[in-house]
Amino acid sequence: MTEKSRFEIVREGARKDGIEIVHYESQFAPGSKTENRMVRIVAFFFLLSGFAGLAFVAAYVWWPFTDFPSVDGWEYAPGNSPMKGFTPILGLTLGVTLLALGLGILTWGKKLMPHEIAIQERHVGGSSPEERKLTGNTLAFIGQEFGLSRRPLLKVALAAPAAGLGAAALAVPVGMLIKDPHHPDIFFTTGFNPVNNNGKPVRLMREDNTYIRPEDVSVGGQITAFPATADGHGASNKYADSPVLLIHLRQQDADHLRGQLQNHSQNKLQNPSDPNSGGMYGNLVAYSKICTHAGCPASLYEQQTNKLLCPCHQSQFLITENARPVFGPATRRLPMLPIGLDEEGFLYAKSDFGGVPVGPAFWEKPEA
Amino acid sequence: MVSGSRTRRKVVSALRMLAALMLAGGIYTLISPGAAANNAPLSAAAQEGKELYASCISCHGENGQGVPDRGPSLVGVGSAAVEFQVETGRMPAAGQNAQIERKPPQFDTNQARQLGAYIQEQFGGGPQFPADFDSAVKNGDIARGGELFRINCSSCHAFSGGGGALSSGKFAPSLAESSARDIYGAMLTGPQNMPVFGDNQLTPEQKYDVIAYVQTLQSDVDPGGWGLGRFGPTTEGIAIFLFGMVALAFAALWIAGKS
Repeated sequence: MTEKSRFEIVREGARKDGIEIVHYESQFAPGSKTENRMVRIVAFFFLLSGFAGLAFVAAYVWWPFTDFPSVDGWEYAPGNSPMKGFTPILGLTLGVTLLALGLGILTWGKKLMPHEIAIQERHVGGSSPEERKLTGNTLAFIGQEFGLSRRPLLKVALAAPAAGLGAAALAVPVGMLIKDPHHPDIFFTTGFNPVNNNGKPVRLMREDNTYIRPEDVSVGGQITAFPATADGHGASNKYADSPVLLIHLRQQDADHLRGQLQNHSQNKLQNPSDPNSGGMYGNLVAYSKICTHAGCPASLYEQQTNKLLCPCHQSQFLITENARPVFGPATRRLPMLPIGLDEEGFLYAKSDFGGVPVGPAFWEKPEA
Repeated sequence: MVSGSRTRRKVVSALRMLAALMLAGGIYTLISPGAAANNAPLSAAAQEGKELYASCISCHGENGQGVPDRGPSLVGVGSAAVEFQVETGRMPAAGQNAQIERKPPQFDTNQARQLGAYIQEQFGGGPQFPADFDSAVKNGDIARGGELFRINCSSCHAFSGGGGALSSGKFAPSLAESSARDIYGAMLTGPQNMPVFGDNQLTPEQKYDVIAYVQTLQSDVDPGGWGLGRFGPTTEGIAIFLFGMVALAFAALWIAGKS
């Protein structure tokens, strides 16, 4: 009986607002076969949504995929995708979750809510306290008309998409806390690590696998160098984080940089009388080509100003001050690759960037 | 007699000393490189260039030593740098800017080469164009040049040679107007902020390959519209799509209203 009287109150309230409800009718008789069928359809969509959300979580945790292209799968071949369907299955499950939830709500609104036609005159000014009370009742009535108390299946079914979506939303951030996504040491070593050359120091080479002599770079010139690893793939995507820019500075610029390096214990001269005992060889210096902001190749070298520019976000590094960032979003120096000359007259890396990780910041990156 | 023989001995030793000094001086004059260079006559082209150099003195100095805050020293820059700067109209410069830009040249090719010859011979040599440049440049391999261009040039001049921004108002210019000699000279000498690509780094043959590739890019004509550095007339495409779609929608409404 309360239902009837509540509707009367709502209608009365509407009248007071200048609204005349001229038509109000449920689409299906309450408890009728058709209504139950609609309820089941809505419930089916909600359950589907919930299951798809859980499937997303399951796929995120257990779907097999290759962690890092550099471990295997760095070379493109049909079917040799490092992800092997991981991304599509995530997209599919999350898509079904949202789509089914939307279809469930749509069906509910279109088929289970009563049809109503109301006419309202416009009025001026605010609402009286009485009207506000009426409005409160109206809202409560609408809530009642959703019919959650009458249709307990829907209440239970709604819990499914809530749980599924919630789990899907939580899976990624929680998953990252549970399983460290970083391959051991992958961000701390590059192709210049002697591990990649049977324990011997790694030479610098051009993209065509030829070694570099100091006289190959003109004064005021630069060349992109790659690690000459034992597997011969040094210039490939397998060592995509390793390329360096080898720069031949002018005499006074090189002297300035050597002075600057004295403040950096990593690359300062070990023997003050030997200019090659630090990170530089002669007036040659090698810096990581991977921008410390977002990992783009910073390779626009200005030979007069000695600035190295990154084309992606306009970061600028001043080479003569140990690649200090002087403009743009980058906040860290480009790491220097300490170089020397081996007995055959080729340039080689004295160490793997002195242990400094190249490229953008990451969670475990130590303060350099 | 005693005094006479002493006098004679003094005279003889003085003559001997004089002869030794003259011999040493003569040998020095013959073998000293600096003295010889100063006396060496300039070639005919360099003589012509010397006249033209009057236009350069105010900024580069009478002896090519440079003038502070005006122009750099030309000692050791070589003829290739001079020819590049003069033939592209960058020199004589209009003023001191972030970047000195290409403009219609003041000297013709011949005069540029004469200036180059003068600076090469007078102020100490530097990189030069190969003697057989004009015939050898035709042998460039476009495919290899494309590879070299993408590795060495594209980071600043963009994949299509359209150029791009550098720091503080400087920029890598478009290569659309560059002649083969311009491209070769720029690689060899590294004008302004461009890095130097010496012959140890890119051999002359590799430079010819790069030139062949750039010339292919130059011969590719944009199909029309605002090319956006060979990206294509996308702006026009978007405009046509947006305005065209709106026009079509209104046309449909109009037709529907009529019926």
